[in-house]
Amino acid sequence: MTEQPVLDGPVPDELVAIAERHGQVVAAGDSAATLADFRPDRTGQLLGSARLPERLVSSRLLRLEVEPDGLVAAFICYTAADGSETVLRSRWIKLEQGWRVTQVRNVPETPPVMAAAGPRDDGLDRPHWEGLRAGQVRIQRCAPCGHWIWAPQPLCPRCHSFDLTWPAVEPDGTVYSWTRTWQPFSPELSGHVPFVIVVAELAAAGGRRLLGVLCNGDGASVHVGQPVRGEIDPAPSVEAWPVLRWRLT
Amino acid sequence: MNRSLRGAAAVAGIGSTPYYKRGTSPHSSLRLNLEAILAACADAGLDAHEVDGFVSYANDLNEGLAVGAALGVREVRWSTMVWGGGGGGVAAAVNAAAAAVACGQAENVIVYRGITEADDGRQSYGKGHFPPLLSAHGVLTPVQVCALRSQRMLEVDGVPWSALEALVQASYYHAQRNPAAVGYGRPLDHSTYADSRWVSEPLRLYDCSRENDGAAAVLVTSAERARDLRQVPAFVLSGVQGAGPDWSESAENNASYTSAGFHPAMVARLWGEAGVKASDVDVVQVYENFSGPAVASLIDLGLCPPGAEAGSFMTVPNLVVPDGVLPINTAGGNIAEGFVHGIGLVLEAVRQVRGTSASQVTSADVSLLLGGPVAPLVSATVFGSAATV
Repeated sequence: MTEQPVLDGPVPDELVAIAERHGQVVAAGDSAATLADFRPDRTGQLLGSARLPERLVSSRLLRLEVEPDGLVAAFICYTAADGSETVLRSRWIKLEQGWRVTQVRNVPETPPVMAAAGPRDDGLDRPHWEGLRAGQVRIQRCAPCGHWIWAPQPLCPRCHSFDLTWPAVEPDGTVYSWTRTWQPFSPELSGHVPFVIVVAELAAAGGRRLLGVLCNGDGASVHVGQPVRGEIDPAPSVEAWPVLRWRLT
Repeated sequence: MNRSLRGAAAVAGIGSTPYYKRGTSPHSSLRLNLEAILAACADAGLDAHEVDGFVSYANDLNEGLAVGAALGVREVRWSTMVWGGGGGGVAAAVNAAAAAVACGQAENVIVYRGITEADDGRQSYGKGHFPPLLSAHGVLTPVQVCALRSQRMLEVDGVPWSALEALVQASYYHAQRNPAAVGYGRPLDHSTYADSRWVSEPLRLYDCSRENDGAAAVLVTSAERARDLRQVPAFVLSGVQGAGPDWSESAENNASYTSAGFHPAMVARLWGEAGVKASDVDVVQVYENFSGPAVASLIDLGLCPPGAEAGSFMTVPNLVVPDGVLPINTAGGNIAEGFVHGIGLVLEAVRQVRGTSASQVTSADVSLLLGGPVAPLVSATVFGSAATV
């Protein structure tokens, strides 16, 4: 049974066969042929960007889509030996030597889940993480002088009181800055790049800023000043910790 | 009581190993440091047994006392590590050596830094500075933090993208004149820069410094002794280090977010002690972990106008020898010469005062070294020629 891929826009004819063959060599575990399809100056980045199950049995080109910047996106579904399916979106560029993959990612996007989530060893930020577990965003604040403190400190840098509280705040903020990270710096990031990191300024916490990954950041046009709202991503296991994410509102 | 550092100490010797591709050094970081120190002493014409002080930064694995023991020095009188991660300590290390010499704590102080990936591990430059409030969100490396700062500098302050490229292009331009540079023989054109892969927006591959194995060292001694040694002295006119309010380890809550960290009081002290103005600076070695923070440094120092006007100043012709108004990173810098936590920038700042750079600025009397943009600590040193003291 062969299903024809969906073609969206004026997809060059030759690219259909190229993308189908690419899926086949990836599914067959043919590293040399896979690498040959990659844009040569970024093979390492591309290899680390996508995450696929170890044993693949087949591939299926779902869709080719011409994008506004002239790249062509290929959605290829890979089926593993256990029957699970993984979709990668590769973006193809026409170079002198032919069509090459210049970007690739897993779709739909999922934020990276980091083993580092949770309190630091000295426990200074533990109330924040416990707050997330209770469904609240808690930020350190000095009881006597009301100063908001972030990152957490052992005492109030303003009045030197050790009497610190952890009130819950409404996680409504605005984008103070942002970056879209493409490089898979650690194996934990593979399958999740590129992802957008937002520094959000919280009016309810005296303008203190909290970092977090932006949900639905894939292809999002992000700007400083945009409103965002925090969401708490549940812990992936009993021992792990929930994590704060941001979403454009 | 004279509390001034100005003119009390000078760099009298410089030495370095080659820049090896990271992970390929044939020797340990201790051995590379020792090679660089011996070269610096030989350059100065000083018996290395006469060294009596050691200063390093960024958690160099080789403590001064161990280095001194290996060298068999007669006495270790001064041994200092500058706290604060990253290259922010590079100029602070020179300043600490100069301070030790100026107040008689030591006579011949070596500033050194060596890295090998085998000894230090991968990404040693960021170790300890990515607590869970960053790493839980996939922020694992300095480039991501510097990208966040750069993005706001571009988007809110209005510094144009071209300013970042000009800094990179000037570095590559100078590297083509420096056979010791890793980027020598590899000129960079606009399309290669602009088409290179994103690392973390708005920074692409060529906006990032290299990573190398290697070591370098400089010998700091008293002004009097430096005059008697073999080389033209590079006098320390002033030095500053530090961090402004809300600056360090604040999980992106720095008060002056798009600043490189050189706050106004620090900059005023730098110029005041040296007795020079920004417009007197002949040449700058500006630490570029990444292009954006280096541009922010030049803005902080008043060497480059802020905001949109940065674009009209930051052009390749303005930033290169022989005719640029402010040549920068004349050996190629961390981006195009090689990266051992910025120690190479110290050597080049000294070469400019000596008149021996491969991209020499005509009569470089005031040579500025800037360390560590956006790092928990930043630092700067103004070097001057004999004409300035």
